[in-house]
Amino acid sequence: MDESYDVIVLGTGLKESVLSGLMSVNGKKVLHLDQNKYYGGESASLTPLKDVYTYFTKEMPGGDDSMGRGRDWNVDLIPKFLMATGKLVNILINSGVTRYLEFKSVEGSYVFKDGKVHKVPATETEALTSSLLSLGEKNSFRGFLKYIAEFNPEDLKDEVDPETTTAQELYDKFGLSKSTVDFTGHALGLYRDDSYLAQPCGKTIRRIKLYSESLARYGKSPYLYPMYGLGELPQGFARLSAIYGGTYMLDKPIDEITMEDGKVTGVKSGGEVAKCSMVIGDPKYFPDRVKKVGQVVRAICLLNHSVPNTSDAASCQIIIPQGQVNRKSDIYVLIVSHAHHVATKGHYIALVATTVETGEPEDELKPGLDLLGPIVEKFVSVSDMYEPNDDGKENQLFISSSYDATTHFETVLDDIQDIYLRATGEAIDFSKVQHDLEANKDSQ
Amino acid sequence: MEDYKYLFKVVLIGNAGVGKTCLVRRFTQGLFPPGQGATIGVDFMIKTIEIGGEKVKLQIWDTAGQERFRSITQSYYHSADALVLVFDVTSKESFNALPSWLREVEQYASPKVISVLVGNKIDLGKDREVNEEDGQSFADSHSMRFLETSAKESDNVDRLFLDIAVELTNNVRNGEIRHDDHEDIIKDTTSVSTCCKG
Repeated sequence: MDESYDVIVLGTGLKESVLSGLMSVNGKKVLHLDQNKYYGGESASLTPLKDVYTYFTKEMPGGDDSMGRGRDWNVDLIPKFLMATGKLVNILINSGVTRYLEFKSVEGSYVFKDGKVHKVPATETEALTSSLLSLGEKNSFRGFLKYIAEFNPEDLKDEVDPETTTAQELYDKFGLSKSTVDFTGHALGLYRDDSYLAQPCGKTIRRIKLYSESLARYGKSPYLYPMYGLGELPQGFARLSAIYGGTYMLDKPIDEITMEDGKVTGVKSGGEVAKCSMVIGDPKYFPDRVKKVGQVVRAICLLNHSVPNTSDAASCQIIIPQGQVNRKSDIYVLIVSHAHHVATKGHYIALVATTVETGEPEDELKPGLDLLGPIVEKFVSVSDMYEPNDDGKENQLFISSSYDATTHFETVLDDIQDIYLRATGEAIDFSKVQHDLEANKDSQ
Repeated sequence: MEDYKYLFKVVLIGNAGVGKTCLVRRFTQGLFPPGQGATIGVDFMIKTIEIGGEKVKLQIWDTAGQERFRSITQSYYHSADALVLVFDVTSKESFNALPSWLREVEQYASPKVISVLVGNKIDLGKDREVNEEDGQSFADSHSMRFLETSAKESDNVDRLFLDIAVELTNNVRNGEIRHDDHEDIIKDTTSVSTCCKG
């Protein structure tokens, strides 16, 4: 490790691994270190099951094999799904990282309303049969969906200006009821709170379009999820980086980040110093250079049955909009199982998460936990969310933000794009990320 | 669209410098690249062969150099149909590392994976540190097949991969391993985009 690098990346979470891959592909000499023995940091999937208990410092019940073989479990620490036509899928395809992973669609998308779980309608046909809407609501909602589907920023009609008309005004235009607005914004637009209503509606239109186009891609839901868990994602990008010459070392505690004249000069680990002109890393590696901006509470629940009212879905999402449970931010429930090789047959993993609003974070998850039925095991954690103190342009330390409570990867990709821009002065150019190594061709 | 009956993923593991990349290159390209350092830029290589009149495509994966500091990703093992565990017969150290490689295999690879132990570099006979009997008995005690090879002289290299292809093909025909029954979403899009690049 006593060498010089262009970039040293600290932590193998998804953001850091994507950035490492992009840097290597663009010809940078990259050293990628992680203090853990495993890949993925916060975005790891823990395996075997015993490691989940160890991570949460819990005693695993002995003499009981009802949970099946431990190594067949891959338990995500942070629950998220991929939008089928979202930015992460775009970068996976362009970089060729799809060749290291397999995906399956998520079976269903649900929303909690008036104490019950309903399937989210996202097409005109589904809206017609949905239990969520009264007859009158159905008609106005259909009109709204049709408008969104046909929306073209080049050809504006109906006096809607995406830059000035607010989301609330747009909803009012179609006469959407309060409860229709509630699930449209939270279950289709995937907003975490209601502050967007007063904002220009362009973003809302794009978000709902993303949802319906993602849904149209594979049918059952707009979401995809990788076989063997989300931890596969950072590993795929780490392999991409390695293919392009990136050096990988796990289990490397970082002693010090060395600075000179306010600029980074290297990273010290185990008494050795690797020189570099730029460091990228997750907030854990920079405790003095980040600020706390909030907290997320998450519960990982192991179940031995499917979740009630989801048609026995092997994977699905349930959104509990804040307005339904008198909160400021939504509660998300994500369910995965054996179908995605993350649990043994007959078992399910439900992850319940929300942004912390009170002094009793675990109680805030109750509306989500109540939907699950009997829970075999529950691991609750409260994580601080951090943001970097500065943009890194002065000291060349580019620090990612912690993973938020959102249920998909769109904000993760926003942060990656932003860090890449700050670090290189250029936007990510997907055409450069393409994988076209001669060695991959069939030699026969 | 593509002209083959079966596609199998073969994954190579073993210490740095034992000749994994050379074995793959010898088999897929008929080359022995001299004086190579750590592997950079090789993802996987493909070779199509015929078994009993049917085309079988082997996708052979290399470690991308991540074995140097024992940082191979778990996902590397996940969908492997066959594992080739390589040591260098002139390096006792690479032979002594085999148990720790097998622990990773045990933890991350499918229980149905077939694995083969390979002692490479037999052309360097005078420097031998591991004799054939020790290799064979290690393989026997872990229910693996064993072969000694020379990627340089092309000894046993074709046999190594052809035997794997035959065994996997037979396993599919006998219904012992399932094949391509999962939805391969996203990937479809990828193959379209790469074929258009020409």
